[in-house]
This record gives sequence, structure tokens and C-alpha cells, in this order.
Amino acid sequence: MSASPKPGSKPAVPLSERLWRALAWLEQRMNVTELFSFLTHFGVIYTPIDTQRPLREVLREIGSKPVVSYARWPHILGLLTAILFALQAISGTLLAFYYHPTATMAYESTRTIVRDVPLGWLVHQVHAWGSSLLMAVVFVRIVRLFWDGLYRAPREVLWFSGVMLGYLVIQIDFTGRLLPWDIHSYWAAIRGLEVISTVPVVGPVLAFVVGGKTLSQDSLPRFYVLHSLVLPGLYLAMVWVTFASMRRVGLSRTDEAPPATTTFRKHLADLAIIMLLLFAGLVTLATLFPFHFHGAADPYATPKGVQPPWYMLALYAVDQVPVPGWIPGLLALIVCLAIPFLPAILKRTGGRFDERRVRIAGVAVFAVWVVLSVIGVIVERS
Amino acid sequence: MSGRPTPFARRAAVLGALALGLALAAAAVRSAPAPADAPGEEMLTAASGRCGVCHPRDRVAFEKSPHATEGLHCTSCHGGNDQTDKASTAHSGASWRGRLTKPEIPKLCGSCHSNPKLMQPYDLPVDQYALYQTSVHGQRLAKGDTRVAVCSDCHGPHEILAPNDPASSVYVTNIPRTCGRCHGDSALVKAEGIRDTYHAYLTSVHAKQLFDAGNLSAPTCVSCHGVHGATPPEGGDVNKVCGRCHTAERRYFLAGPHASGMSRGGLAECSSCHGDHAIQASVTGNLAADCVECHDKNSAEAKLGDRLLADYRGASEEIEQASKWVDRADAVPIETDDFRARVQEARTYLREAMTAAHSVRPDIMGSFTVRARSTGAEVTEEIQKELGNIRTNKLALIVFWFYVLVTVGILRRFRNARPQGR
Repeated sequence: MSASPKPGSKPAVPLSERLWRALAWLEQRMNVTELFSFLTHFGVIYTPIDTQRPLREVLREIGSKPVVSYARWPHILGLLTAILFALQAISGTLLAFYYHPTATMAYESTRTIVRDVPLGWLVHQVHAWGSSLLMAVVFVRIVRLFWDGLYRAPREVLWFSGVMLGYLVIQIDFTGRLLPWDIHSYWAAIRGLEVISTVPVVGPVLAFVVGGKTLSQDSLPRFYVLHSLVLPGLYLAMVWVTFASMRRVGLSRTDEAPPATTTFRKHLADLAIIMLLLFAGLVTLATLFPFHFHGAADPYATPKGVQPPWYMLALYAVDQVPVPGWIPGLLALIVCLAIPFLPAILKRTGGRFDERRVRIAGVAVFAVWVVLSVIGVIVERS
Repeated sequence: MSGRPTPFARRAAVLGALALGLALAAAAVRSAPAPADAPGEEMLTAASGRCGVCHPRDRVAFEKSPHATEGLHCTSCHGGNDQTDKASTAHSGASWRGRLTKPEIPKLCGSCHSNPKLMQPYDLPVDQYALYQTSVHGQRLAKGDTRVAVCSDCHGPHEILAPNDPASSVYVTNIPRTCGRCHGDSALVKAEGIRDTYHAYLTSVHAKQLFDAGNLSAPTCVSCHGVHGATPPEGGDVNKVCGRCHTAERRYFLAGPHASGMSRGGLAECSSCHGDHAIQASVTGNLAADCVECHDKNSAEAKLGDRLLADYRGASEEIEQASKWVDRADAVPIETDDFRARVQEARTYLREAMTAAHSVRPDIMGSFTVRARSTGAEVTEEIQKELGNIRTNKLALIVFWFYVLVTVGILRRFRNARPQGR
């Protein structure tokens, strides 16, 4: 007892100072700033930094540096696609701790997660709701980019990566839907594969990937790898392309409202607040409006009201028309290929095109798509 | 001359002995009998001798029967001579019987089938003839009534097949039709003044089991009436006959007041409510409706019937309710394996209550309806409680949002704080 140091014999070191010292210790041994600069590629910060300087100096410098605020409309859409993806990655990783991607265990393990693991139901529902929200945000962002004409030079790459994010998020959703291996996910996947198999080139390629035109138990691990590894990897690559392009061409700005500027410190706080509110919103949705849990997949019993996922309903409706399946499939393929290469198509007009006409054409395509989707629902019900 | 044989004579003697030996050996080979336990083709045709020359159809029918391969001939039953195709020679002799009359047939069949020594190798019973004489068919035949079934009416005259042969007229699924040839013949039953029990049977739950579900254990005519001693069960015996399969129902029936009451009133026990041949699967709604067939509408007995039915319905509804809650719990999901097992248990109680209803005693039946009802109610209550816990989760959202907003407030303070200069 007598050997114990007397309180106040040494000046108290605040916790923040201790952390900075630890950082300094680490920085003598590795380049932390370089690691941090890597993170900036995924939207943490929007400013170039000098990787040769210590992180503390860099942070102090950019902390007070004015940056363009993401945290307001419409730039927040891009931010949300990144944050929601991060939340999906976190909840998906938690799910993967318990999930078994085999036909015999998939349903059982999903039920274990949802029913027996503490708060497993919450993680599962947050993941499901997050997927819907992510898709909504990615789509609204594409619509917004289109409406404001942000496919024009020099933003062709941004437009391309934006549309690609949309395609990827659809594929991640489609592959993820099957994983619970319950009766609805199983039959929805079968309906979806039927729709996709009508598309030339894509259909055979997909059949090759999933191991045949029909859904088998071999499909499940492949869908799992696509859902948790391949497609998210491509998504991250597209996020990286988005930010890399944005560093060159800058944030979109409209002439009427000059972008609000803020400091990096405030930007970081905004980021944390948005992330927290999004997470709280997802938890609320998951608790108040949980998705139903269905029975196990049964290849011999088609449940009532099973339909392909909503983004496939339009093509599903067209496939009911008595023409050879490849005709609507080819049309859909042409439209889907035309959208990301819209700038290249418009360039053929010599750069003199009426933006209003493009908008009207876009609205028309969108309207046709919505009408066909509604027909798809009606076709399935009848 | 010496007595020694000349070389020629010796040679002749050796040759002669050799020839004799060969001839004897050949004779021995020729006369060797064919193995008895493997009848050859010539033996199959030999069964009908030359009778088939004039009676080809009867010959074909007879040769399908196991009788033909077991050493019986046309002449075994009909007498006469089967080695000639001359009618006058064939249809003559001391043994000639020709076409058999109905009273002769059971005696003739019984001459072998009642002989234990003959039937023992085939492991066949020998009591058919004795049983037949106890049957209504046999008794009427003894009185000189020939409009009854004898052996050949059910087994066929010539094509007599084993009862386990699906082509046999007495194979289990063919029995109702075989009996129905007389008991379902509309002209015959009208003339004899008997009931068309065949067509009544066809509407029964037993026939549906036999024909539609392919349940070969389902009862046919002979299951209740006996095979060769075919007799309608008498009053007092009906519950024993039905109780051979419906053991639990019989046990409860005997425990109740109906058993002694019906025997006093001379009523057939089971068939008073269920009918005899057109027996239908039990319908819950008929439970109380049948009481007023015998009891007065306002009597205590009729009211007891209503009460038993109400108990049963109440338990049944409680179980359906519990089952719906289990489905709702599955969609959450909540662990329901135990609940499902208990709903199944309640259904078992309810099924037993239906059986116990044969006692028409509220104390016996009630012990099952109460258990079924309370098990269903417990499941419903426990699931509602667990779903209530989920409601608590929703209330926890308020606390969650409180902490979220506090954190947002802290972050906003951090955001708007002046940066610390060094």
C-alpha cells in the first residue's frame, strides 16, 4: 500500500493525448496516412492529401479546410449509397457468422438466426430492409442524374458507374433473396431465372454460372459467393470509380444554388449523424414492419402468389406475350445496354440535342416500365 | 465226343448273354417312372383326358385351376371315361355322374376338403363343409331350397383358384362382387324379398377404404358374416363383430347405458346408429341428430346428446384457434415445435373423445374434451404471451430512439464546436 504512487504526483494525461501518442508511435513504424488516403477513395473525405506527412498534421490541416458538403440534397444520395452499403456489409457479415450455404442447412440456419440467436431477427430484418432502401436510393440517384443531365461531358464515367451500381444492386438483391431457401425465395428465384433465361447471351451465361437452367442445390453456394463476395466486390469497385471520377470533375452543381461549403470536421460529424439516423431508421422499420418468415423450400409445392422480384415483373409481363421468348429478351437487353452508354449514343447527334426531349424519352421509357410491371403483377394474380 | 463246348458254342453263349443283358437294361430304362413331384406337360393335358375334345371351354377353365396340377381329372367329379371321345362310352359306366345337382356339390367337394389326410400337405382347413352347414345357405339347402349358394357359386365350377390369387373370385377385392352376384341382383333380391346389401355396401366407408384407398385390411362381406358359415350376426353379437376392429369403440360402448338398454329393447347395437351395410364415416354434426331417432326430442337423453356435441365442438374450435396461432408464430418466427406437438396431442384427445362418445357418458367423454380444450387454450395463451414480448420490443424502440437522439445531439455539439487551436 505504501508503495502505491501518490495521486497527483504526475500531471494527468488526457485520453485524447494518449491516443495521439499511440498514433505517433505507430507512425514511426508504418505509413498510417497512406492507409487513411485509401479510405478517402470511398467517400470519407473529399480532398487530396499528402501521404508523406503524419496523419495528425494531415487531419489538423484538412479538419479546418473548407470542403463541399455532401450532407444535403441532392448530393446526399451518393453518400447514402455508400453508407447503406457499409451497413449492409456489417449486417451481412453478422449473418454470415451463422449462415450455412448448403441446401440442407440453409433454411435451418436462417431460422436459427431469426429465431434463436439473440437479436438475430433484428440483424436479419435490418439486412432485408437495408437492401430495399439501398435499391431505392440507387434508383432515385440514377433518376436524379438523368433528370439534371449529368450524363453529359465530362461526367460520362459518373453516369456509367451510377447505372452500374443500379444493375449490381439488383443482382445482389436477386442472389440474396434465394439464400434463406424458404418457399417464397425458392420459387421467386425460379421465376426470376425463367425471366432471365429469355434474354439472349445473358441467359446462357447465367445458366453457366448457376449450373443449369433450373435451380438446383448447387445453385445455392454459387448464389452465396456471388452475393457476398463477387458482386459486392464489383460494387465497391464502382464506388471507387465514382469517387475517383468525382475528384477530377467535381461535385455536380446547379447554377442557381452554389454548393454549401463546410469544414472536414463538420463533414465527418455529418457523416456520423447520417449513419446513425439511417441505422436507427432501419431498426425502426425492422421492428415495426418485419418481413414474414415463410416455410422451407419445397420443389413439389408452388405457393400461391409467387412472382419474380419486382424489378423483373416488366420483362415477366412481356414474356407472357405469345412471341418467341428471345424477342422481348433482346429488347430488354438493348434497353439495359443503352442506358449506361447513353452519353455515347447522344454524342452521335453531334452534341446538339434537346435535353427536354431526352427527358421526355426517359419519362416515356420509365412509364412503359412501370405499366409493364403493374401488368406483371396482374398476370401473376390471375 | 467230350462234354467240353466247342469254341463256336462258347462264343454264341457269351453273345447271347450280352444280348439278353442289353435287352433287360433297355426294358428297365423304358419302364422307369417319371418323377412324381414335377408334372410334365403331358400330365397337364392328361388331367382332362379326352373330355376337352367336346368340352374345350370347360377344359381350358379347369386346367387353370390348381386342381388340374394336383392330380384331379374331369372324371374325379363327373365320373365316366376320359380315354375316349365317343360320347356314349365316355358318359357311361358305374362312376358316371354327369352334371352335378346343387345338393350334390357340397358333399362332393367335402369328400376331399373335409379329409384331413388329403388337406394336410396343402395346409388347408377341413372345416368348410361343417361350417357351410351352419350357414343360412347350407340350412336352406338342407331344407330342399336349391336357390342358395353352394361351393361352385362362389369359387366357380371349373376355374377354382386359390383365394390369394388376384384373379380368383374369392380374392379380397373380388368378394363383394361375388356375393353381389346374388345379393346385388335387383331381380333376384326382389323375388326373394331380401335386401340389396351389395349396393348398400358399395356406398360405405369400408368399401371406399377397400377400393379407393386400396386398403386390403378393410372389411368385406365375409369379414363380418363369416366365410363358409355365412350368417348375419345376431343382436347382442353385433358389438362383438364390429369390435373385432373397433376395439376402443366397443370398450366405451359396453361401459355406457346403451349396451344393456339396447339388449333389453332388442336393438342391434352398433347398426342402430351407424346402419349395417352402408356404414358411413363419422360426421360430427350427426352426433346429436341421431339421438332423437329413439329418444324424445325434449328428453334428458336428447339434451345430453346436445351437451356432448357442444363439448366436442367447443374443444374442436379451441384447437383450430391454437393451430392458427401456431401458424402466426411461425411467420415471426417463434420456436413452435413444442406448440405443434401439443396441438397434435390435443387433436389426439379430441379423436379419443369421439371414440369415448360411444359410452354416451359425460364423465368419460368429458375427460377427453376438457383435456383437448385446455391444451388448445394453453397453447393459444402461451403464444399470445410470446407475441406480447415482441410488442415489448416495439416499446424498446422508444428508449432506443432516446439514445440515438442524445448521440445525435452530442455529434452536433462536436460539429459546431470551435476547433481547438494549438
